[in-house]
Amino acid sequence: MVNYGGDEVSALVVDIGSSSVRAGYAGDDTPKAVVSSYYGYKTTAGDSDAKLYLGQHGPSIWREGMEIGNPWRDALIFDFNPIPPLISHALSDIMHANPSEHPILVTEPAWNIAANRERMAEIMFEEFQVPAFYIANTGVLNAFAAGKGSALVIDVGHSVASITPVVDGFVLRKGLVYSALPKLVHAHAKHVLTTPTPTRGSIDLYPHQLIASKIPVEPSASPRFALREDRLAGTTESWRTWYETREVDEWIQTVAGVLDQGWNEQVAAARPPRQYEFPTGFNTSFGPERFQVGEEFFYHSPQLVAQNPNLPKNIPTLLSESLRACDPDLRQVLMGNVVLTGGGSLYTGFADRLENELSRNFSHVKIHAPGNPIERKYGAWLGGSILASLGTFHQLWISREEWQEHGKAIVGQRCK
Amino acid sequence: MNVRAADLRSALSLPATAHSQSHPRKPTAQSSKKPEGISRELYALIGPSAPSLSLAANLAKPRLKQKPNFGGRGTTKWEWRPFRPPARGDSLQLEYSFAKYDVRPAKYTYSDEEYSALLEDNGWSKEETDYLFDITHEYDLRWYVIHDRYDFLGGPPRAIEDLKDRYYSCCRKLIRSRPWSGDEATKSQLLNNYQFDKEREKMRKNYIASLEERTQEEVAEEEALFIELKRLEQNERRFRKERDELLRTLLGIESGLPDIVAEEEGPVPLSADSLKKKKKGTMDVDFPSTPTNVVSLGPPATKRPQSAKAAVYDEKHCIMRVEPPASATTKTTHVPVHLRSLKLPNLKGTIAPKVTEALAEVGVRYPPRLVMPTRENCAKTESLLDATTALIDIKKIVDRVDQDIRVLRARLGLRESAGTDGDVRESMQMDIDESKDGSTNKEGEVDGRAQSVVSTRSGRGRKQSRRSMSVSSIDTSASTRTGTKRQKRG
Repeated sequence: MVNYGGDEVSALVVDIGSSSVRAGYAGDDTPKAVVSSYYGYKTTAGDSDAKLYLGQHGPSIWREGMEIGNPWRDALIFDFNPIPPLISHALSDIMHANPSEHPILVTEPAWNIAANRERMAEIMFEEFQVPAFYIANTGVLNAFAAGKGSALVIDVGHSVASITPVVDGFVLRKGLVYSALPKLVHAHAKHVLTTPTPTRGSIDLYPHQLIASKIPVEPSASPRFALREDRLAGTTESWRTWYETREVDEWIQTVAGVLDQGWNEQVAAARPPRQYEFPTGFNTSFGPERFQVGEEFFYHSPQLVAQNPNLPKNIPTLLSESLRACDPDLRQVLMGNVVLTGGGSLYTGFADRLENELSRNFSHVKIHAPGNPIERKYGAWLGGSILASLGTFHQLWISREEWQEHGKAIVGQRCK
Repeated sequence: MNVRAADLRSALSLPATAHSQSHPRKPTAQSSKKPEGISRELYALIGPSAPSLSLAANLAKPRLKQKPNFGGRGTTKWEWRPFRPPARGDSLQLEYSFAKYDVRPAKYTYSDEEYSALLEDNGWSKEETDYLFDITHEYDLRWYVIHDRYDFLGGPPRAIEDLKDRYYSCCRKLIRSRPWSGDEATKSQLLNNYQFDKEREKMRKNYIASLEERTQEEVAEEEALFIELKRLEQNERRFRKERDELLRTLLGIESGLPDIVAEEEGPVPLSADSLKKKKKGTMDVDFPSTPTNVVSLGPPATKRPQSAKAAVYDEKHCIMRVEPPASATTKTTHVPVHLRSLKLPNLKGTIAPKVTEALAEVGVRYPPRLVMPTRENCAKTESLLDATTALIDIKKIVDRVDQDIRVLRARLGLRESAGTDGDVRESMQMDIDESKDGSTNKEGEVDGRAQSVVSTRSGRGRKQSRRSMSVSSIDTSASTRTGTKRQKRG
């Protein structure tokens, strides 16, 4: 008897994050569909059956009166209404798969609440009619993606930075810490761009959708462009916020970095500046300020802390907090298996800086940080893909029958 | 082989028989058919006469490269098939072959009676114990996870050691109290598996924690100290090495460094041949008999426990092995190889001439030159010298006491002559002293006699065995030479 492929059950893996929804077949190395978690909708159309604008032709296309929404708030899925359309868009429209034919593995953050995971199970079984369902932890999946059963997962995402100790495939909840650090970094970046400096004024963050024409200008010269006045009136506040966020993100991804040895004015000034052109045509080169942005991950100045008592904790603080909650026996194991993941960790020099910070306090630190950005961005999806294609995993699926027999309680029992 | 008559005839160029001619040669269907596994050319050479059935079978192509036959339908078709995982109780259809590795640890359960009889504990309620056992089984004894998830409503906070201690102690009690079908060894082994020392574990954890809580300065200091220690050790080693080098250069073999001894002589025992020669006392004139060649057979460089065989060998060949002195472990006190006769005790300055004199009286030379300084002879010489020294010491004391007596007597006589009555007690004392002295004197005399006997004996021995002595010494050197030779050859 030929055993090869005996483990294959053609499961689907769906990883819902605050910036994008990743979906694909278990056993693949990259997700087949990556859909933005932001969606457009029009309030005028009515309530729940309002049309949602999703994916590539969703929020990024200007529509009169279109608002932009995101299901996530405070590191949890807050609004479940757009979740089925998002999943359906990824699975049916992009992958052309029928969810009722495939077991589906969904991810959740380690701090997810029972109500949310039960709701997710309900959506899967009742709306998508899946034969089997499982909800797995992103921390554990990231550890699996790195090939580790025990690891300290440092996940810097779109809106949350978290540190998750994983032991034998289980999250140690006492050592789990997270903060909205990426949002702070983002806010700082926006602040840097919109604050006038001696060499330039405040930068306009108009998206190309709102720009009718522009004329090339010299670097640092004030931009000369014309706005599409016809669109301005119909632009909603949420869409404006969304595109400004996107412009800042674009800038961060192109320019920002982290100094690997800690903040040093001279070193930052010595690094070559980087040129960046905004949709308005304004272009200039950014020097030390591009490193200030990344520095926010590791160090907060005392006056900033004094001004904001609820400042999100930076990475060294999170680390020491997490390790303090772990058993002394485990610390050495965890420090030898640090997994760096998440798209937010793709700042140049981030991994080096982290390594320097860690080895200053611990001996025998080993950081697993995939050089491939796809693996870094979709680590949780990849882990889910690995997990769902393992033969030993199949006993964990919550089958449709079990769901009908036990109801929501089975989710908490099975998915520990 | 069915060689046909016609073939023979043609081979020997004999005319064919009428019989054969009447039946023209016509290959039969069987012979014309080429057996499988023989190339066409080869078959043509052999002709129809050749292969028997067995030969054809041997020549058949090996079947290694043949493709397996799957019922003749060409390639296997893949298809999706529903399957049921054996680890699942419901009807979800899924199959895989690694279910056998899904093993769970043995779960211990207890009845209410057992709990009240054995497991009562002031710190733990039955409900919490139940909860502990459930969660322990749920997470398969992954204690870190169990401790992380442990959440018993209304229970006190528990450290991971508390949980382990409670669980393992309950398990131990249950194992002990229950009837055991196997033997005692397996039971105690099982009990050992459930052994847990809470205090020790806590102490260990504290050590780890304190190790981690060291400040940067402390770590740096520790490292500096460690490096300093390493450096000192290295210096010491270098110093020792240099000293050894120096000793080797200056003294050579006499430095007593073990590695040199091993190089020059080796701990190889003397060959049986050379020992036989020694016994017979045959002189080997090829080798000069310089006393420097006499090698002490005493302490071997290595201190191995003697096997029975070696003991017999030593016994047979009169080898005495001397345990190196305990203090000789350090190099400073190391005793190099030496001649036994050179190690006879030297007498201290003042007493030496007296001993010489005393020995000369009985005809013994001092310092004694032993013709054959065997172990016994040396020991006897040594005891002779000891005794002589003692004798001289006693003689000295006797002389002094005699002198005292004389003086006192003189004084007594002076008093008597002066008319004053001497102190009776004093005179009594004197008498006693005198008698004591007398006995000592006698003993001294006996000793002296004994000594003289010894010395005469050794003297006699010397005269008698002069020839054999010299022979043996030569022989020893000779045999060692041969030993060295053999070594080289080997």
